[in-house]
Amino acid sequence: MKRIWLESYPPGVPPEVDTRACPTLRHLLEQSCARFGERPAIANMGVELSYGELNRLSRDFGAFLRSELRLEPGDRLAIMLPNVLQYPVALFGALRAGLTVVNVNPLYTASELEHQLADSGARAIVVLENFAHTVEQALARCRVEHVIVTQLGDLFPPAKRWLVNFAVKYVKRMVPRWSIPGATGLRDALARGARQGLPEVNLGPHDIAFLQYTGGTTGRPKGAILSHGNMVANVEQTAAWIRILLKEGEETVITALPLYHIFALTANLLVFLKLGGTNVLITNPRDIPRFVAELRRTRFTAITGVNTLFNALLDAPGFDEVCAASRGVLKVAVAGGMSVQRSVAERWQRATGIPLVEGYGLTEASPIVCGNRFDTGEFTGKLGLPVPSTEVAILDEHGAEVTPAETGEICVRGPQVMRGYWNAPEETANVFTREGWLRTGDMGRMDGRGFVEFIERRKDVIVVSGFKAYPTEIEDVAMLHPGVKDAGAVGVPDARSGEAVALYVVKKDPGLTAEALLEHCGRHLTGYKLPRRIEFREQLPKTVVGKILRRRLKEEAMAGHG
Amino acid sequence: MAEYPVHLARTHRLFDGRTVTIRPVRPDDFARERRFLGELSGESLYLRFQKWISAPNEKLAHFLTDIDYDRHMAFVCTAPGGDAEEVVGEARYAVNPDNASCEFGVMIADGWHNTGIAGLLMEAIIGSARSRGLKTMEGQVLSSNATMLRFARGLGFKAEAVPDDLTIRRVVKKL
Repeated sequence: MKRIWLESYPPGVPPEVDTRACPTLRHLLEQSCARFGERPAIANMGVELSYGELNRLSRDFGAFLRSELRLEPGDRLAIMLPNVLQYPVALFGALRAGLTVVNVNPLYTASELEHQLADSGARAIVVLENFAHTVEQALARCRVEHVIVTQLGDLFPPAKRWLVNFAVKYVKRMVPRWSIPGATGLRDALARGARQGLPEVNLGPHDIAFLQYTGGTTGRPKGAILSHGNMVANVEQTAAWIRILLKEGEETVITALPLYHIFALTANLLVFLKLGGTNVLITNPRDIPRFVAELRRTRFTAITGVNTLFNALLDAPGFDEVCAASRGVLKVAVAGGMSVQRSVAERWQRATGIPLVEGYGLTEASPIVCGNRFDTGEFTGKLGLPVPSTEVAILDEHGAEVTPAETGEICVRGPQVMRGYWNAPEETANVFTREGWLRTGDMGRMDGRGFVEFIERRKDVIVVSGFKAYPTEIEDVAMLHPGVKDAGAVGVPDARSGEAVALYVVKKDPGLTAEALLEHCGRHLTGYKLPRRIEFREQLPKTVVGKILRRRLKEEAMAGHG
Repeated sequence: MAEYPVHLARTHRLFDGRTVTIRPVRPDDFARERRFLGELSGESLYLRFQKWISAPNEKLAHFLTDIDYDRHMAFVCTAPGGDAEEVVGEARYAVNPDNASCEFGVMIADGWHNTGIAGLLMEAIIGSARSRGLKTMEGQVLSSNATMLRFARGLGFKAEAVPDDLTIRRVVKKL
């Protein structure tokens, strides 16, 4: 196939990337630590970890995992942390020890967590104490042997550590009671690891770095197998794309999206580590006043987010001052995960003077597939051009390429594309074509210059602020309630989050209320999957042989709420 | 309600040597149908009903077995089971309000894919719909269900886009 997009590449971006010099994430970290030793690698709540400290702490943690817990290369370690200093320490400790990392959303409910731990076969988990009660509930039914618990301030200097840990626990009461016999504190783990050697592990590009869970149309999430080779390829591809504007060892990126999500993991943490930059971790971006205050204190040159986040920032009091201070400093603003609204993109550009550059990707591709040009200075409304060493084809349902500018399924090939799903050969077979194209489930087209445009999703999935919610999972949970006879979930447009979940329910128990059902859903589903609206019906619209008519439900939902 | 069309029952020998019976469903298939549904994977149920079906309930099994053999016609495929026959697949059509077209649905037990029974069941409902004088048969298939789309094309169905909904395809066959 002809890579027509190469002719639209900005000057300085190569058509291919080479990962031979840095074949694994361990190499990536070790090379950056050697090159940028004293530079701050990570910052959080005013505390910085230099590359040298990250090197030492992650080595100690890796040594603890191998020598104290006796975990072996290839074993799975779950990390259930928000954006805090402990996240990169745990992550690189595990990867340097040859372990596979399973990222877990800390807001998961016990049943969601249990599924992920059981499916991945995780032997150990690192969790922030605030979420230890969830782990406690999930533990009974999976084979996790070791739990490492950390408090929010654990990697802060002594006075601040004591103050933060005390305030979180006793003043703000943010730690629900928990009890896990045999749990190890992270500080203890690091101290024990420091006395041990980190056994040499022969890590190659084919070794598995992550089982990164993503939703499935039927029921529970499945783990995309992302190898070291997949990840370093995507880091190189993204770095090649962004490097034309950035300087090694000089950049600071605001990391407000969670690192357990593949977008911030690659685009922020890994790409900026590669470039010797600093990741400023925002632990709770929903606390907008604090977030804005942090931005006011920080001289940052890059920021990533989703439409929802940029919109919230633009509406926040005090953000205009941040924009004024950032003029001439801020170089790059990247949006991914969900479609960017033109109105948000235009407001952003007026406020900051730089465009909101949209990228496109998916968990199965580590994740970045396409990006818009950083040098054109305007918002295109498109997904962008395929990044280096990446092929994108628009295929019809038989797997044949459509004629140019026609709509079809966006399909991807490249070194960043996963090998398959963990323990799910059928799902793996379904997501690849015979020619090895990854089917994204997104319908789109490519113009004559190689820009890919998104049209609509082919799969039944609701994207809430960049997070995927599958109707079947929500229906499953709703139907677990004894008062529910039938339930149908659909996505409806939402000004804030792009889409939101609307749930239509047929009652079994006439006394069932929307509040009771929502409370039930809240026990099984993370916040973003929760229905924004619950409506009761005598029956759900179905065809004559009993297939649901989601289109009809969507129409109803939209008619009812303009 | 039309009488039970006993003459439509047929016995077939499959490629693998096993023998199955294709016959119109009977109200007394209720328990067998329920067991059949209960053993289907979540994936199979999703592909058929296009939503999550938790433990298939009595009402569904009733809807599937208590039919009028006129506007709603269904065949089951049965095989000799442990102590009696068991349902291993089923297909049906229901007449649309226009009285000229009908919609079909088909389900096969997870262990019985690629045995040829889906084709036999479809042959039975297509023949029945034709003799009832219906003009077209159509189905709502998930766009992601490549297996079903391929199967339908093999039977002479044409796949069409559905306006405003890319998640499903409409397959249509002239009878």
